[in-house]
Amino acid sequence: MTFQLELKKLKRTGFFPAILGGGLIAAAFPILNTAARPEMFISQPLPALDILMNANSQMIVMLNLCLAVIGACMIYHTEFSGNAMQKMESLPVSVGKLFFDKTAILLIALFAALLIEHMALAFCALYWFPEQSGLFTALLKNLEYSFALLIPPCIILMIFSSLCRNMWITLGAGVICIFTVSVLPTDNRILSFFPFSLPFQTLAGAEDANWIFVTLAGCAAEIVLAVLAEAVILKVRRHCA
Amino acid sequence: MSFLKLIGVELKKIRRSHIFWILLIPVILLWIPTLINYDFIMNPATDGLSPEHNFFIQSFMGLAWFMFPASMVVCTVLLIQTERGHGGMMKMLALPVSPAALCMAKFVVLLLLAAVQVALMTAFYYPCAAIASHLNDYNLILSPLFVLREAGIFYLSGIPMAAVFWLIAVCVRTPIFSMGIGLASIVPSVLAINTKVWFAYPMCYPFYRIMILMSELPNGGTVHMELIPLLPMAIGLTIVCLTGACLFFGKSERR
Repeated sequence: MTFQLELKKLKRTGFFPAILGGGLIAAAFPILNTAARPEMFISQPLPALDILMNANSQMIVMLNLCLAVIGACMIYHTEFSGNAMQKMESLPVSVGKLFFDKTAILLIALFAALLIEHMALAFCALYWFPEQSGLFTALLKNLEYSFALLIPPCIILMIFSSLCRNMWITLGAGVICIFTVSVLPTDNRILSFFPFSLPFQTLAGAEDANWIFVTLAGCAAEIVLAVLAEAVILKVRRHCA
Repeated sequence: MSFLKLIGVELKKIRRSHIFWILLIPVILLWIPTLINYDFIMNPATDGLSPEHNFFIQSFMGLAWFMFPASMVVCTVLLIQTERGHGGMMKMLALPVSPAALCMAKFVVLLLLAAVQVALMTAFYYPCAAIASHLNDYNLILSPLFVLREAGIFYLSGIPMAAVFWLIAVCVRTPIFSMGIGLASIVPSVLAINTKVWFAYPMCYPFYRIMILMSELPNGGTVHMELIPLLPMAIGLTIVCLTGACLFFGKSERR
């Protein structure tokens, strides 16, 4: 019930067009990139998806994270403008449920964006690269992996967003987190578990199955920790207010 | 009301906005890794670039490519959103001041915030260069003349970009789109600097300037930059954007 209400609240904010539009821009990038210089990519002795991911994933992930930031800003902004949050808190609706619904919406929207981007990758692989087996399983795996790694930063952004009444603080914090990734050294394994660095990892860049397992385990641990942190924050906040 | 007074009012509005921290934190985050990554600084990737120039360029490049433009986007959101709550815009427009003057006052505040970030960046340069010099046993401190000049040029090259972001923030009323367009326009600036028409893309000016420094400094230390397509284009764009912003400021409230 509250889930539908949340969807309705976002209807006039431009949330869905913005995320889908961002997904389309991110999807256009690998197509344009490959169209501009196909010979550079085709000659590499790797599976098509790996070549495409190596060439484009950084830009795509960057755009996805930017989408997550503006999406998270917007989702709670509808509550804080006009003091709707106070009204919500006086209703028989748990704030935890509210947070859960809102995060779910953000994740579903980003999943749609990822889906569009993967369709673009599939198009590139089919159009420019020679026929190959197992492309679709690889794509599916890649989609799941990128989505799983996108969850921790999204939850953290939602925490910022639920904490800050003012949209620019959420936006600023999100932007600073994305920026931190570019400052961190890329060759350090431990630092790659920084929540905002996680999405930049690709299946193509993983060393072996164990590597992937450890990354996913770290990702799961971060999700649990973030959810616990939000639970505590919601409790403490309610006592304060 | 004089224009200076208007700016004072705008500054008062953002006094409790915590924007200073959003400007400060990235600067600190930028300087810490440069202190840790010795090898990177002492062995520049570009041939012939001296370590002291490399130290300066690497840090400013980190700011130029993402954080400086992104801070501008955050500041535009701040300046616009402070008016959106409680009908602030209506009250502003009811004052005996022209909307264009209000718009320009806000733009000046945006420029001031940009100046604060560049100033913080420059202020942190000296202690960090001193520490790094001490750690490396190599004098990494550049002459203040060079540092201040480059920081000044860096700042000036960001003004057209600020004007474009301001136009976007004023014209696009849905906040998610104005933020989205702003952030999305930063990402391709890496591609834009490699094209022939880079001067038509204001978001890449600061980045382009740093890239010029990186390629020109090894050739004898003098920096030569073509000003002809850039300067008219930058000034033209700034004027067009600011005129547009002044015309559209408060448009939907004035209907």
